[in-house]
Amino acid sequence: MRRAASVRADPPEDLYSIRGLTKVYGEGPTAVHALRGIDLDLPRSAMVVLLGASGSGKSTFLNIVGGLDDATDGQVWFEGQELTALGPAELTEYRRNSVSFVFQFYNLVASLTARENVALITEIAEDPMTPEDALSLVGLENRIDHFPSQLSGGEQQRVAIARAIAKRPKVMFCDEPTGALDSQTGVIVLDALDQVNRELGTTTLLITHNVVIAEMADRLLRFADGALVEDRDNADRKSPSELQW
Amino acid sequence: MVSLPQWMGALDRKLLRDIWRLRSQALAIALVIAAGIGMVVMSFGMMRSLEATRDAYYDRYRFADIFASAKRFPESLIGDVRAIDGVSIVEGRLTTAATLDVPGMAEPVTAIIHSLPATGMPRVNALVLRSGRMPDPRQPDEVLASEKFADAARIAPGDMIEALVYGKKQNLRVVGTVLSPEYVYAIGPGQIFPDNRRFGILWMGEEHLAAALNSTNAYNEALIRLERGAAEQDVIDRVDVLLERYGGRGAIPRRDQISDRFLANEMVQLNSMTAILPPIFLGVAAFLINMVLSRLVESEREIIGLLTAFGYRSRTIMAHYAKLALVLSLPGLVMGMMLGNWMGRGLAGMFQKYYVFPFLNYRAGFDVYFVSCLVAILVVLIGAAQTVRKIGKLTAAEAMRPPVPPNYSGGFARLIGKIKRLDEPTRIILRGLVRRPVRTLLGAFGVAAALGLYVTSAGSMDNVDLMTDMLFNQANRADVNVTFAEPRDERVLFELARLPGVMRVEPVRSVSATFRAGHRSRTESLTGIEPAGDLNRLIDMDDGLTQPPVRGLMLSSILSGQLGVEIGDKVQVEITDGRRPHLTMPVADILKSPVANPAIVKFDQLGPIMRETPLASGAYLSIDPNHAETIYRQLKDMPIIAGFSRRAAALTGIEETIGETMGVVSLFNTGFAALIVFGVVYNNARISLAERARDLVSLRVLGYRRPEVSYILLGELALIVIAGLPLGIVFGYYLSRYLTASMSGDLFILPFALSAETVAVAVLVVLVTAAISALFVRSRLDRLDLVTVLKTRE
Repeated sequence: MRRAASVRADPPEDLYSIRGLTKVYGEGPTAVHALRGIDLDLPRSAMVVLLGASGSGKSTFLNIVGGLDDATDGQVWFEGQELTALGPAELTEYRRNSVSFVFQFYNLVASLTARENVALITEIAEDPMTPEDALSLVGLENRIDHFPSQLSGGEQQRVAIARAIAKRPKVMFCDEPTGALDSQTGVIVLDALDQVNRELGTTTLLITHNVVIAEMADRLLRFADGALVEDRDNADRKSPSELQW
Repeated sequence: MVSLPQWMGALDRKLLRDIWRLRSQALAIALVIAAGIGMVVMSFGMMRSLEATRDAYYDRYRFADIFASAKRFPESLIGDVRAIDGVSIVEGRLTTAATLDVPGMAEPVTAIIHSLPATGMPRVNALVLRSGRMPDPRQPDEVLASEKFADAARIAPGDMIEALVYGKKQNLRVVGTVLSPEYVYAIGPGQIFPDNRRFGILWMGEEHLAAALNSTNAYNEALIRLERGAAEQDVIDRVDVLLERYGGRGAIPRRDQISDRFLANEMVQLNSMTAILPPIFLGVAAFLINMVLSRLVESEREIIGLLTAFGYRSRTIMAHYAKLALVLSLPGLVMGMMLGNWMGRGLAGMFQKYYVFPFLNYRAGFDVYFVSCLVAILVVLIGAAQTVRKIGKLTAAEAMRPPVPPNYSGGFARLIGKIKRLDEPTRIILRGLVRRPVRTLLGAFGVAAALGLYVTSAGSMDNVDLMTDMLFNQANRADVNVTFAEPRDERVLFELARLPGVMRVEPVRSVSATFRAGHRSRTESLTGIEPAGDLNRLIDMDDGLTQPPVRGLMLSSILSGQLGVEIGDKVQVEITDGRRPHLTMPVADILKSPVANPAIVKFDQLGPIMRETPLASGAYLSIDPNHAETIYRQLKDMPIIAGFSRRAAALTGIEETIGETMGVVSLFNTGFAALIVFGVVYNNARISLAERARDLVSLRVLGYRRPEVSYILLGELALIVIAGLPLGIVFGYYLSRYLTASMSGDLFILPFALSAETVAVAVLVVLVTAAISALFVRSRLDRLDLVTVLKTRE
């Protein structure tokens, strides 16, 4: 559903403003309420961790805020522009220019080397870093010309992170980025995310099942049954290397 | 989701849902199979029907086994012929050439008139009465007309026509129209294509035709039916001896009778078309289905691995995919059989435009359906089984592990990395193609095969065009061609040249002769041609314009092949006209002509050969079109003119009959080829989409726009199609050539031509089909759900 985009008059303090965000799959008695009216403001440069069981709504939330899915009701404003009123082409531009994704299963293009996978983004971004810089940020400067089949899972995920940060996005969405990795490799990947957040100030929304990971966040959001049941700031943000699970 | 019955096993449920999921691909597969099967069923159906129809017609209407003609022989000789061992029925008749003045036709119509026995219906070459009635023996002016001629000339029973018979004008009343097994393919003297408006056959009472020809109690033809198992050649030899002193022209067996010969030639052509093109169609269709199914099954890799891991036996899994393959091909089999049957029937009917039968026995044959389906099913099953076996071994463990990206680190893929100017999407396309070279090549071969079939099917008209051009623009350039009732000296040529509007006259002399070399012999015509002639020229298919030899014989390549002689060999020539000289002549030259131009000498050589002053049996005329009507009118009144043909009319006739029929055949074949093109391209695109979906959606998530993502998928498709084009043109060229060569019989050598236009149109068809497939696939790409594709594992 598209409505006329409304723009707030005041310069927005928060990066995201979310009001009454609702998502319903299906209709009638079989309808599934994935999100039940979420209200939330997210500041710039925060490291936000989203926790919750399977089906709690956290991925649906991430997909809508990331411009991959549309809402049934409610609004999402990004820098004062209403995302929930945008059409598919405008959402593509939003994903192209402002946000990045990291997924559990990496989603690298198998037929491109690490460098070329990153170049996929730098070729279409307005002010990108070089693929080499992006890869050295995640510690892969020596694996630049390797194909995905020649990289370990952790390395593949770090290429995915390099690909995500190379365009200097305002926001990075990470859906279970360590889900398929052992804890040692997981820490290396989280380290890369932490470093990007600190050095580049990229707002990061990170979904995880793993409560321990929440300790590296500025802010923690817990979802249950489509609702936001916990929203607290974490004064004592730890570095990933201090985490253990 | 459709609800399925409880008793159905999980795999069968999967099967049904898979089919539903794959329905658009299934349709494309069905179309390809239908094209392969349809082509086989259509071609065999048509050919067998023509054969069955011909045999039934000949049998039911007692078509003669031997045709003997002479200048004139007494009725009593019929008894002598009947006494020959092996002869079952003999009937004598009178036959004469005539010209008709048909209302509404400016030019004279050439006609053959046969006598009807006093009893009415002939016992040999019986007639099929189509309208009206048989002539009343007491009415001297009543005749029957051949139905096609009557229709074309708009003559109905009761109408009068004026005929010039043996120098005398007669008014004849058509009382009925008929068909004859003797004129299944009705062509006038010296013609090769039927022209029903300008050539007619009439039958009139024996007594009245004999009176017109001053030939009472005599015949000039004997029609002979043999007993089963009779020695044909012995009978012919004995008939020749009997007729020798009556000016016998050499008896001929049925297979040399002109209508039967053309019909047989057509069967040879149909046979080779059936033996070559449809099996190739079926083969190509099967190959494509094999390819598509392999890729389809391969895309189920994980599921096969999973089933194996669960403990399913590989036999069960194979049976599952075999079932999938069968269910996918079933609609194509049914469609193909129905389509082929329907089109074969239609085509057989169309052939009746110039092969005239009173009925059509349509017969495709159970074996044709059975064998073509069996071939299709086997190929499909083999394709599916190979892939399942290959995958089943590999992936039981693979399916349980986290996804491993396919390995792209081969040499070529590295090389593509070295090219600095490529953007990443282009690298994705190129590495995808290079990583699986066999698949890429098969894809290109598929396109090539489809294009080749299209070129071959559409190109058959090019051959006809070239042949028409050789015959009517290069060789025969006369506006009008006349034959004389009897050979005449040069005075008749002067007479023709004097007609106002006649610009040029060239004589021609044709005599019938038996050519012998060793134990081989052929009865054909020997023709004297003016070397300086401009209206009737000799065109060699390889060397172009050529001349009759200064001395010696020029043989057509067909006749020299039949006699087994080469240039320099000697041939015995036994002429059966005039003084019937026998002589031995050297073969001076061999002419590769598209039509049988059996034996040729220089015109002025024929006089000495015949031991007479130079005579002409016909002439080629070039005329001023403004005087055409006057010239035709005068020719109608000249008793010497027994045959007349006009080049422009003959050309129109060809376009109307051969052009149209060949056009429809070619259209049907082309349609089948187009179906195959679509099936191949669409399936290639769909499977690529399935394989690439994840990469493409990743790019969409990364912010790539729709056209940018489409570029990757469609770019790959475009490269495969483009790679297939030159291959397809080469394949089409050689296939057309082979087919053309195999279609030449002993009446025609079909010249080979493939026009740039045909190739261009074929390429365009492939490109347009590819573009349409691309549009279909692109709309699917646009609808891919970004979220769910990424959530699932590779």
